[in-house]
Amino acid sequence: MSVLTLQNISKSYGKIQALNNLSFDIPQGCVFGVLGPNGSGKTTLLSIILDVLKADAGNFLWFGSPGSPEQRKKIGSLLETPNFYHYLSAVNNLKITHTISGRGNMAGIDGVLQKVKLFERKDSRFSTYSLGMKQRLAIAAALLGDPQVLVLDEPTNGLDPVGIAEIRELIIELSKKGHTIIMASHLLDEVEKVCTHVAIIKRGQLITTGPVEDVLAAEDTVEISAASLDALATAMNSYGKGSKLVKDGIYLQVSLPKGSASLDDINNYCFNKGIVLNHLVFKKKRLEAKFFELTNN
Amino acid sequence: MFNIARTEWLKIKKYPAFWWVMGITALTYPGINYMFIGIYNNITEQQSSSGQIVKALIGNPFSFPEAWRTVAYISSLFVFIPAIVIILLITNEYNYKTNRQNIIDGWSRTEFMIGKLIDVLILSAIVTALYAVVALVIGIVNTTNAEADKWKLVYYIGLFSLQTFSQLSIAFMVGLLIRKSFIALAVFAFYFIMVEPISVNLLKYKYKNEIGEFFPLEISHRLLPKPAFIGRINEEAYQASLKAVNAHIFYTLILVLITWAFCFWINNRRDL
Repeated sequence: MSVLTLQNISKSYGKIQALNNLSFDIPQGCVFGVLGPNGSGKTTLLSIILDVLKADAGNFLWFGSPGSPEQRKKIGSLLETPNFYHYLSAVNNLKITHTISGRGNMAGIDGVLQKVKLFERKDSRFSTYSLGMKQRLAIAAALLGDPQVLVLDEPTNGLDPVGIAEIRELIIELSKKGHTIIMASHLLDEVEKVCTHVAIIKRGQLITTGPVEDVLAAEDTVEISAASLDALATAMNSYGKGSKLVKDGIYLQVSLPKGSASLDDINNYCFNKGIVLNHLVFKKKRLEAKFFELTNN
Repeated sequence: MFNIARTEWLKIKKYPAFWWVMGITALTYPGINYMFIGIYNNITEQQSSSGQIVKALIGNPFSFPEAWRTVAYISSLFVFIPAIVIILLITNEYNYKTNRQNIIDGWSRTEFMIGKLIDVLILSAIVTALYAVVALVIGIVNTTNAEADKWKLVYYIGLFSLQTFSQLSIAFMVGLLIRKSFIALAVFAFYFIMVEPISVNLLKYKYKNEIGEFFPLEISHRLLPKPAFIGRINEEAYQASLKAVNAHIFYTLILVLITWAFCFWINNRRDL
């Protein structure tokens, strides 16, 4: 079952087309990463599904029904920046989150503040917090009442490396408990570590979407090397089978259609051409490389 | 509804600016009335013939029942002080982006606006209560005639509350439209103190045109006619201002409805 279904969502700001006919599904229980370069429309998309912005065209369904305040109450969300009353403490800000959403209770407020390591400063005004602490409070607000669906826009913004690792662990833990997490992030390494599904958008258009393994494994990559890289490249030019070659330092990257790479076959082919390989590795493509490739950056 | 009011109270109760402005209002309303009483006493306590003539001519505007009207008129000139809080309460939401967070957390846009309507209603009630207490105390202290009808003009509490609510609603609309605290405060203060009074009087006295009575603040300003002793200077104008009150109750109610309908409409339409 889909937690969220997007149907032909379009949004423009004057002449700028922020989102163009975007459609995809987000399955229940997944960690779904929305990726894209700056200005690609990630935050606009999350703002529309949270009813902060109105789409010019198209619609979206939460659990098969049109978006509504009652549904938003059940979703823990962090959108763009931590938005709190500057003159109130963490506890009083979370009381407001509680009275509006109905999520959590006083014990729950203490619990989420402990989880994000803000309990010691729970009575300090929001205006006295550092950027990282503000971000932690926003995550605490999203976690209040243990919602089944979380929407997190750049959740690691402003966090130190330890904080980033903690949020990563938290997301993995929530995912294991069956929560659905929809997150937008620039940190591709982080996304690759936690996300099960991704959608990559560029200038408001969907480039690709699906399980991370499928998106990354659109083709096989084999990394090879020999004493003479030029001789190796010349030999591999006639390998065929739809291969593409890219020199990468002392290695040659050989891209082949998905499922067609055979290390034995490449090794045998080179040997028959009089070249002895000193490096032969089947490389899993990194999300970062795939992202750059798809977005032409 | 109770939950919305409770949430608004959580926002307000620890907001320092709210308590500062409430404190200033609580000092200003009795303070400014006592200042006028002081001026009146200074003139009428003179043993000279001019002092006694003034006393005979205007009576005591601070004794019952006239105290209700006089204090209402004087106090109403300072509604821009509580208007500061109203403007801050809405512009803060934009400044901190908490208006969008309230929606994200599960309020509808209509519920958000109902919360703000409750703020304006509560503040209007507090200011009205303050006026009523000040008028009551001043009336009791200054009434020497035991047969004076203490409650004859007590309905001015209702007129004062309607005027306050109407003018605070306009202040709210200015904050909602401009969204930036200091610009909204400056625009409202400039309009309240300069633009409208000058425009209304210019139209009235230079161009002999009464269209000024339909200006946003003037509509409710005419709910509270000038104190009765002014009528002794121009009896005809004074009687006309008394007769116009009923019509202006109607105009003010219409204006309040239009103001809030516009606020709800614009908040529902625009992106946050």
